Amino acid sequence: MGFSDLVIAAVLVVGCCYILYRSLWQKKGHCPGCDGGCDRSH
Amino acid sequence: MKSVVQLKDEVVAPADGYRDATVDSGARRVITVAVAGNPNAGKSTLINAIAGSRLHVGNWPGVTVEKKEASFEHQGTRIRLVDLPGTYSLSPYTQEEIIARDYLVQERPDLILNVVDSTNLERNLYLTVQILELGIPVVMALNMSDEAQEKGYRLDVKGIEEMLGVVAVPTAATRKSGLDQLLEAVVATAAAPKLRRPKKLNYGYDIETAAELLARELALESAPLLERFPERWLVLKIMERDEHVLRQVNFGDEALLERALHHLRSEHGDDVESLMAEARYGLASGLTREVLRKPELKKTELTEKIDRVVLNRFLGIPIFLGAMWLMFKLTFDLSKPFGDWINDMTGGPFKHWASILLGAIGAPDWTVSLATEGVISGVGFVLVFVPVIFLMMFFITFLEGSGYMARAAFVMDRAMHAIGLHGKSFIPMLLGFGCNVPGIYATRTLENPRDKALTALLIPLMSCGARLPVYVVFTGAFFPRSSGTVIWSLYVMGIALAIVMGLIFKKTLFRGEAPMFIMELPPYRMPSLHSLCVHTWEKGKHFLIKAGTYIFAVSVLVWFLLNLPWGVENRKDSYLGQAGQVMAPALAPLGFGTWQAASSLITGVIAKEIVVGTMGEIYAPKKEEAKQEFKPFGEEVKEVAVSFGKACRESVSNVVSTFGITSLDTQEKEERSALKGMVLKTFTPLTAYAFMAFVLLYMPCMVVAFAMRQEFNGWKWFGVAFAYQTVLAWGMACLIYQGGTLLGLGG
Ligand SMILES: Nc1nc2c(ncn2[C@@H]2O[C@H](COP(=O)(O)OP(=O)(O)OP(=O)(O)O)[C@@H](O)[C@H]2O)c(=O)[nH]1
Ligand SMILES: [Mg+2]
Repeated sequence: MGFSDLVIAAVLVVGCCYILYRSLWQKKGHCPGCDGGCDRSH
Repeated sequence: MKSVVQLKDEVVAPADGYRDATVDSGARRVITVAVAGNPNAGKSTLINAIAGSRLHVGNWPGVTVEKKEASFEHQGTRIRLVDLPGTYSLSPYTQEEIIARDYLVQERPDLILNVVDSTNLERNLYLTVQILELGIPVVMALNMSDEAQEKGYRLDVKGIEEMLGVVAVPTAATRKSGLDQLLEAVVATAAAPKLRRPKKLNYGYDIETAAELLARELALESAPLLERFPERWLVLKIMERDEHVLRQVNFGDEALLERALHHLRSEHGDDVESLMAEARYGLASGLTREVLRKPELKKTELTEKIDRVVLNRFLGIPIFLGAMWLMFKLTFDLSKPFGDWINDMTGGPFKHWASILLGAIGAPDWTVSLATEGVISGVGFVLVFVPVIFLMMFFITFLEGSGYMARAAFVMDRAMHAIGLHGKSFIPMLLGFGCNVPGIYATRTLENPRDKALTALLIPLMSCGARLPVYVVFTGAFFPRSSGTVIWSLYVMGIALAIVMGLIFKKTLFRGEAPMFIMELPPYRMPSLHSLCVHTWEKGKHFLIKAGTYIFAVSVLVWFLLNLPWGVENRKDSYLGQAGQVMAPALAPLGFGTWQAASSLITGVIAKEIVVGTMGEIYAPKKEEAKQEFKPFGEEVKEVAVSFGKACRESVSNVVSTFGITSLDTQEKEERSALKGMVLKTFTPLTAYAFMAFVLLYMPCMVVAFAMRQEFNGWKWFGVAFAYQTVLAWGMACLIYQGGTLLGLGG
């Protein structure tokens, strides 16, 4: 496993953690899948 | 001499209680319209029809539980429609009614669009009378005019307009009729709010005299209050001693109130609140008598006939269970061939294409394994269940639109009373079958905090769409002939355990009885195919978004956990494998104490689909093991299309056989998915059932955890749910496995 592999792996892991953070933590369970006219001011 | 411009400015200038439509940064006019009315009057449907939005609608009272917005452009004006939860009066009881009232009073919209159900005029006008107290310009939509016409009702629209001083337009939101006139009326009214003053209705000499007196005193002593709130409304609310309002405005001048009410009390007794309610009811019923002509002869309607059977004391619950069974059977039979098709595609051609693509761009070897064994096995496995989930959502949408939801609540009322709740709590629970999160929010329609918390605690026991993939894999492997029935038994188990847990909670955490409840039963309605499709999509979309975001992310992370420390030979020795091994002994008494099952359950905490996603990755054949023979690209594409056609045919023939017209094609296909094969090797029918029960019960997913935290301002109730569910899941799975083994079902 070379240096470039490590970099790619790190980018992937960080990217995935960010996706998880964004879709779970940031939304905090607020109305999933109801973007049609959703009041997203909360 | 005044210029024309000045004159114009004067006409639309804001006057006491009125605001001119605001102007946004791009110097366009913006009209804010609050859409208010009784529950189930068709507010959300009307907004969807006007603005092309996709707000949740359903044929029972209490669908909308928070304010939602839809805005659109109309002749250069931006119109913001604010959908409010339905309310019967402006003296609210429940949380969602308070949301509606607070919006009307505090945000002071430019205009209120009062949606009225013309088939229930009198009850709806009771709210209208109160809306007029706000002194904000009102436009009235006499909705459901199609149904009113069918019943032979004749409405004097001019009469309503004259008596209330508002513009009224008959509409039928589902047929999109009357919408142009309605919009016209909205724009015209917003353009000249001062000229379109609603009438001040007369509540009788004594009330009016007292109100005047109080208004005068208030103007002298607490003038700022009158600027913050609509004057007449505030005065009347203070007279009624509306607790919520008194607290909000911080009014405590008892002596002042005493002076104003002295005469009224001496004439009519102490209960001013009832007196005012009577005055309002009097107006609403008087108005109705003036403007509505009903036919002499009332025919028995279809709704009544159906209800005689559906709400029958003895038949009610069996019919409910039967309807559910049919729903699962159809869902499963119809969707299975499509699921198999997606499975074939992700397992074969997609993996092949992904590895070719990655090879072509020169990506390292391990990324090919990540893509095929990680992402395609993980996400692909969840995608296999898209057809099942969408069909399920389709049936749930149908149930919601038909009017059966309210009946189910009614039928379950007695069982719910046993656990100290009432039937209304059953609606959030039913919504939980789609996804638990909207169910948690729907608890807002419950009056007291105790009912709300108890219901929310029980909702995670309702089997949501995300648990279906797990059931489908296991029933497909072990109970291929009776998958629908086995899945149905799990849903029923969820309901039954909710009742048992409710009993336990009633004796411990939540002592007390539920008050009697009265719930409106709307007429049955046939949802249109268009609205069925739109709302099925809105519900199912959520699962696709999930698959594309965090299930994708988790499957990548799981792949790393399965392949670290780097170069690990056996997946058992990977980090995830080790974690699974630590937990496995605890699951041994349940019959599935393997590290594979344990690891899947650990990752499934994030979302329950991930249980099968992880299993798919764990059991994915390693690249070397996979014996693959690839065909040329063109042929593979052709195969994709041909097998899709076959899936369609199979699906139709499955449904036909559900109704016993032909016999099911029983020829078993060779096992196509590696996961199914491995599951068959490591589980028995009994342990598979115990495992499914465990997945159903073992803890709410992360999103539900956040939703609970938000609704209850803290982690307390989630903590309770987490604790009891873990114990319950373990106990139930243990009971099934050990009990089944004793009965000799273990084999
Ligand atoms: N026949 C007929 N049905 C209608 C009409 N408008 C709405 N409906 C139906 O009435 C039911 C209730 O509609 P919703 O838009 O959810 O009602 P709502 O006022 O938003 O209700 P809440 O959110 O509970 O306050 C749905 O089943 C609609 O399809 C109409 O004009 N004619
Ligand atoms: Mg609504």
